[in-house]
Amino acid sequence: MRWRRPEPHTLAGAYVMDAVAGADRARFERHLARCQACARELRGLREATARLAGAVAADPPAAVVERALAAAARTRQLPPVTGQAAARRTRRAGRAGGAGRAPVPERGWRALLPGLSLALAAALLAAAAASGVVALRAEHRLGQAELRDQAIAQVLNAPDAVMLTARVHSGGTVTVVMSRRDRSLVVTTAGLPPLTSGRCYQLWLMGPGGDRSAGMLPAPHRGMTSPVIATGLAAGDWVGLTVEPEGGSPRPTSRPVLMLSLAA
Amino acid sequence: MGISDAGPRRGPGSAAGQAPGAGLEALLGGVARGDQAAFEAVCACAAATVFGVVRSVVRDPFQAQEVAQEVLLEVWRCASRFQPGRGSAMAWVTTIAHRRAIDRVRAEQRSAGRQLRAFSHQVAYDEVAEAVEARLDRDRVRRCLGSLTELQRESVTLAYYGGYTFREVAGLLGVPEGTVKTRMRDGLIRLRDCLGAE
Repeated sequence: MRWRRPEPHTLAGAYVMDAVAGADRARFERHLARCQACARELRGLREATARLAGAVAADPPAAVVERALAAAARTRQLPPVTGQAAARRTRRAGRAGGAGRAPVPERGWRALLPGLSLALAAALLAAAAASGVVALRAEHRLGQAELRDQAIAQVLNAPDAVMLTARVHSGGTVTVVMSRRDRSLVVTTAGLPPLTSGRCYQLWLMGPGGDRSAGMLPAPHRGMTSPVIATGLAAGDWVGLTVEPEGGSPRPTSRPVLMLSLAA
Repeated sequence: MGISDAGPRRGPGSAAGQAPGAGLEALLGGVARGDQAAFEAVCACAAATVFGVVRSVVRDPFQAQEVAQEVLLEVWRCASRFQPGRGSAMAWVTTIAHRRAIDRVRAEQRSAGRQLRAFSHQVAYDEVAEAVEARLDRDRVRRCLGSLTELQRESVTLAYYGGYTFREVAGLLGVPEGTVKTRMRDGLIRLRDCLGAE
């Protein structure tokens, strides 16, 4: 039942109803980027879905709007898209703010993990928030921790944020959300094997510019580690994870349990 | 739980029969320039539609409130990205709302319970259809939905209101994926034409 070459635009209906996920979505969006007729059709179909939405309208409790108004008063707005930026628009921004626009085609591994990214990033964010690490409220602006949390939130919300996950050789998974714009990435892990005492997981950016420590993974909470942010991302970097003595090492001293390519 | 009685309480954007959100476009322009009063008016216009669609996908009323609030804030944040030439303001808003709701549902599925969904498959359509039926207070939309073939209607309803992917819908209905895909498109085209939504 795979739709390959023939008539990808038959997915238009499913697409405007957000009923296309994963690789299907990426393929369709690649097609969309080249299909003027599709863009027109999507526009019309979206109007139909808006009517479907209107048909089930129901007043929310007043607090919903009150909270939205209060939040708006302290939330900075996105600037308009200029010509240059429009060309670089990524799906995240497209999804959030660009209904009816042809999305920018996806490249490289992004295309392998499409559609997942937003939902998983949302899950990641939720997990981070639940662990109390990411203060989502914009009004917190004090102290180192808040600054870091803000940096994390910024990466997760970056218009070019993309997500990838990888299995760790020794077990567990690593999830990375990366923003090239911010030259930063946020890493969380799940299910990494516990280490003997005196050993820790250390995160690295490894690339042409050498290996740079991106810090130690914090102790896991219910199997998950709270987000760690790595800045100074450079072209050609990989994400590495090694087991190091407590306190970390200036450079990796053991064979990485994970080497994840960030190349597009 | 008919909500046809909710009509009078709804904002101007929900006026029955009309393309919702005339005037919303101008308001969004104000919001894009940081006008909070305009944003308040947008909320008055669109909150019911946003909440309605989010609730239909998310189901849990408390989560729906949370997501609806996020959607409204997203409208505030991204208002400058709305381009009037590219579709109606209401379509822009409901697209954000539906996507946010879907993101919430799919993130949850991933973390919590695929199996739970699989297990609820048999009841899914009936349940969604029933809930929607009860809330479809817009005669015109109902009439137009009624003009679709059964498979078109089921496919559209499960996808849009139920938040299922086309592959999931195919599984639910026991119909080939290719068929569901085309029925969704045909169904929406027919709806669009029937509603004069263009």
